Amino acid sequence: MKDNLISIKSVTKSFTKGKTTITPLENLSLDVPRGEFLSLMGPSGSGKTTLLNLIAGIDTPTSGEILINGEDISQLSRAQLTKWRAVHVGYIFQLYHLVPILSAYENVELPLLLGKYSKAERKKKINAALELVGLSDRADHRPSELSGGQEQRVAIARAIVHDPDLLVADEPTGDLDRESADSILNLLNSLAKDHGKTVVMVTHDPKASAAAHRALQLEKGQFSSEGHLLNTSTQ
Amino acid sequence: MLPFTYALRNLFRDPARLLQTVGGSAVVVLLLIAAVAMNQGMDSVLSSSGSPRNVILMGKGSEESLERSEVSIDAESAAATSISGIETKLGVAAISGEITYQAPIRTSSGKEEPALLRGVLEKALLVHTSVRLLEGTFPGPGEVMVGDLTHRKLGVEKEELAVGQQLYFGDSAMRISGRFTAPGTVLESEIWFDRNDLSSLTQRDSLSSIILRLENTNADDVELFTFQRNDLELAAIREDKYYEKLSIFYQPIQIMTWVTAALVGAGAVFGGLNTLYAAFASRIKEMATLQSIGYTRTALFVSLIQESVLATLSGTLLAFVIAYFLLDGRTVPFSIGTFTLTMTPSVIFTGLIAGILLGTIGTLPPAIRCLLPSLPKALRSN
Repeated sequence: MKDNLISIKSVTKSFTKGKTTITPLENLSLDVPRGEFLSLMGPSGSGKTTLLNLIAGIDTPTSGEILINGEDISQLSRAQLTKWRAVHVGYIFQLYHLVPILSAYENVELPLLLGKYSKAERKKKINAALELVGLSDRADHRPSELSGGQEQRVAIARAIVHDPDLLVADEPTGDLDRESADSILNLLNSLAKDHGKTVVMVTHDPKASAAAHRALQLEKGQFSSEGHLLNTSTQ
Repeated sequence: MLPFTYALRNLFRDPARLLQTVGGSAVVVLLLIAAVAMNQGMDSVLSSSGSPRNVILMGKGSEESLERSEVSIDAESAAATSISGIETKLGVAAISGEITYQAPIRTSSGKEEPALLRGVLEKALLVHTSVRLLEGTFPGPGEVMVGDLTHRKLGVEKEELAVGQQLYFGDSAMRISGRFTAPGTVLESEIWFDRNDLSSLTQRDSLSSIILRLENTNADDVELFTFQRNDLELAAIREDKYYEKLSIFYQPIQIMTWVTAALVGAGAVFGGLNTLYAAFASRIKEMATLQSIGYTRTALFVSLIQESVLATLSGTLLAFVIAYFLLDGRTVPFSIGTFTLTMTPSVIFTGLIAGILLGTIGTLPPAIRCLLPSLPKALRSN
């Protein structure tokens, strides 16, 4: 039996817009084994970002269960979810979302300030994260002084610095050139393969999707097909 | 909680907005502390001007104003012989019949301003115990003595009222014989005449009031005297109570200063709201990112408030510096005297509270609006 980090059971997400009820996800189930790099593809409005937000505890489902590491996060309040995310999730955004007034070091430090780490412990973890993404020499640089690819690396360092089990990435290569995108995909792959992180990535880009262990296609809130399965040590 | 440095650095994210907030709050706080200092100064000068041991005998029915009061000259000797408990110094009873008159006075440079004139005899010094002669002599016929702040009341340089200079009451020239001080009282802005001079200049054959200094604060005997000598038509009022009543008369002016300060403050809050709505709206996504990392909305709200309060407190500090150089110690003339603006601890405390309130009240709605959207919606915002 596989050790699933994520187990989604019959999840539906609906919301009302004016008098219309929109259901981006309907009765969806999914299991993601620990250490898998999963790619979610699909056209705009297919529900892939909604699903990602549900997995990350950014949003809550209308019905169904979302078990992350055995804990049903669909029952948590907004405040409880905030605390849960601080420990269990690292979120990587398409446009990096770095705080412009903080240096790369300080941006990476943000998740650690929520934990009980001494200054020395924080420094050690931040330096390790920056080294892992290959940006040790850019620690003092502000986001405006970095390239897009470097900014996304800082964002990844910020996502992994507190050692969460789960990394979610929303179009992490959508704003990057091919070379930078490949480098980011390699990094995500390495985080899953070498560091045991479970990575769920939303992307439009088939090339990006090909870097994942498994790719799922979403259409109108349902999985339409399952893509390739790479032979990794986690499978 | 987010580190304090985050709020501090955010201040400099938009220097124009920072300048606007600091400048706006400085103006509001400056206005507010000026209003408080003014009201406190006025209250202080009025409350210090009266002694609880002094009783004023005034004409019945004109207790509201010394200038309108008329008391028979004979009443002074009658009071001196009939009332027990009047303080004596070197055998002289501390009782002073005085004429109080408000009239325009012209200086040698031609400037004419209304001033409070007091016609007195030398024994006035026995009842007005705060008065000290700084230089020159008590006024004799054809002479006047000016208070140390009379020049502020007349709006002239101090040198124009130096001993030996002339002042004009109508066409009558009066030589300044002396200069006196009476710290913190309305007396310090008055011009003291020889009583007989002022009597003939104002063409009146009565006094305005008789002031008695008692051995203690018990004025029962004075009250009894006014009942027994009904024919003199006198009313007795303790000097401190008289000035207390006067301060009620000035309350509308004080209320006006508060209303003006409040209106300007409200205008600043609304102006600040506009600026902050725009500033915080551009940071909705950043706030959402921080929430996605695990920061609570409360932590972010506190940080936004910290940021604004830092800006308004900087403005408050600027206001204190301006007030220290422009307002502190400045004397302000009003109808019956002059008061001094002082940066007392309570004035500073009021300014600090105003600075904090400006920062918090002005930030609440934009901060709530910034943090209220659902997280998925906020992350998608532009």
